[in-house]
Amino acid sequence: MQPTKKRKKESAFIALLAVLVLAMSFVCLFVGSSHMGLADGLRALAKQSSPANIRIIWNIRIPRVLAAVIAGAGLSVSGLVMQTTLNNAMASPSTLGVSNAAVFGANLSIIAFAGGFLSTGNNLSSYMVGANPFATSLMAFVFAALSILLILALCRVRAFSPNVVVLAGIAMGSVWTAATTILQFYATDVGLSAAVIWSFGDLGRATYRTDAIMLAVVLAGAVLFSCMAWRLNALLGGQAAAGAMGVNVELLRFVCLLAASVITAVCVSFLGVIGFVGIICPHVTKKLLGQDHRVTVPVSLLGGCRLLLLADTFSRSLGSGSALPVGAITSLLGAPFFLAIIFSGKENRPC
Amino acid sequence: MLKVEDLRFRYSPRGPLVLDGVDLQLQPGQIGIVLGRNGSGKSTLFKTILGIQKPLSGKVLFEGQDLHAMTRRERARIAAYVPQDIRFGDLTVFDSVLLGRISYFGMRAGADDIAAVEQILQEMDLSDFAARSVEKLSGGERQKIAIARAMAQDPRLMVFDEPTGNLDMANELLILQEAKRLAREKNIAILCSLHDLNQALQLGDRFFFMKQGRVKYACDAQDITEELIRDVYGVAVKIIQAENRKIIIGGDLNENK
Repeated sequence: MQPTKKRKKESAFIALLAVLVLAMSFVCLFVGSSHMGLADGLRALAKQSSPANIRIIWNIRIPRVLAAVIAGAGLSVSGLVMQTTLNNAMASPSTLGVSNAAVFGANLSIIAFAGGFLSTGNNLSSYMVGANPFATSLMAFVFAALSILLILALCRVRAFSPNVVVLAGIAMGSVWTAATTILQFYATDVGLSAAVIWSFGDLGRATYRTDAIMLAVVLAGAVLFSCMAWRLNALLGGQAAAGAMGVNVELLRFVCLLAASVITAVCVSFLGVIGFVGIICPHVTKKLLGQDHRVTVPVSLLGGCRLLLLADTFSRSLGSGSALPVGAITSLLGAPFFLAIIFSGKENRPC
Repeated sequence: MLKVEDLRFRYSPRGPLVLDGVDLQLQPGQIGIVLGRNGSGKSTLFKTILGIQKPLSGKVLFEGQDLHAMTRRERARIAAYVPQDIRFGDLTVFDSVLLGRISYFGMRAGADDIAAVEQILQEMDLSDFAARSVEKLSGGERQKIAIARAMAQDPRLMVFDEPTGNLDMANELLILQEAKRLAREKNIAILCSLHDLNQALQLGDRFFFMKQGRVKYACDAQDITEELIRDVYGVAVKIIQAENRKIIIGGDLNENK
């Protein structure tokens, strides 16, 4: 009587998606602005090519592809969990204002501590010291974490009521955006352009170290969300119904919001703002496969990998010599597909 | 036996008492109908009994055990809820019913849970629906799935919040018959809120009329009078006997003035 046929189809789909992600990751290694041929690329992968080619593959492209896979998976699954937890189709990984806070932190690091202020003048050597990517990422993460803690502490008063969380997130996001605007108003041209460029999502900033940190956080989140799959399914039936089934709704919301926001904070702090992945992938997954979190969690993870890999490869192929911002490409590639999925449905499914 | 003693609840520290000392008792296998005007506290009473909301004071005892002193999972194995607003998400019927077993299995459903769900679906004539999405079912069928989900909790107390709210006559009858079957065959105590007094008389064994956050009248069918209804609803009605049943006819707001 169990829907075993459906389960088998879902498992096959997940396996196929995983194979597709692996294949895409491999192919993406050989696409880039250096126009390295496939044969050269394969030789560089085996460390048999010129030092420049080996450096391009091992020091630039592999960390970048890994970052696309990890951040895509993390942002996508965070969006899914946010939407379920807050019972809101428009919820995204940044609903708690995490990205805005991270942008403020990075701006503060670049503009205030790197000599980017008008009053301190354009001291390039000081700028280079202060613009240390780790210092900027650390500052971005500190403010993102601060924002998460502040909102979760505030929302605890109202038992993490979804509307309160969403509204508090919007309010807090506005505060960070306003603070960023004020900071940028007093910035030098150099500081301002560095700060604005930071806010574009860029996978080129990834290193093996940042990938390892992101992987640890995303992996922990993925395991947590997989363990919570039945509870998240219960939450689809509403707070009261889930509570009567023995689910501690308040704790579930707190844990999920915290985990999804930390994943987002880490990804944004290292790579800048990459929008839309956290909205489009969960929605496409739900449209195609329903809302069972035992399926939607792994499919969202893999779908996020695929979208960001595709967007990054596209961004590297379009730009001559430099990659376009991957955040813009995710939206450009994703939005038409997203619209097609939404309008192709014969009925309105819940989000 | 379900025993609710002096239950009090308010939504905010300075707000009015929504439950102001509710007392009621219900035997196993009995169907208790909670009646009253909109805003009299019926849904709040149910959520408070089930521990979804924490009461200000008072006790909810089931077979001598304090429901609110138990863990959520222990409580879910005793008391189940069929809410007014039924939602499942886009899950199959089988998985929707299996959700009722969460308090037993935690992370992964075991063979016992699967067997329990299969048995419930068979008993309730829902086996053919198992692989279908709940989203594609009619209102009455979804209501039945909600009851099946509650049954999967293997409860001894079931709480139905306006189960026939949006249903047509045939589906109303189907749900009421299902509730009666559960009470009689499984000896489950059922607490249910209804707005239709004739439907209530058809289904209930005990009647709890709520007014201003309290159970003002707790009685059997024969004790329901025109005066009682006028006092609770502010409406003048006529009660007649037909085919060995009490039937409540119409109502006039002006007659009460």
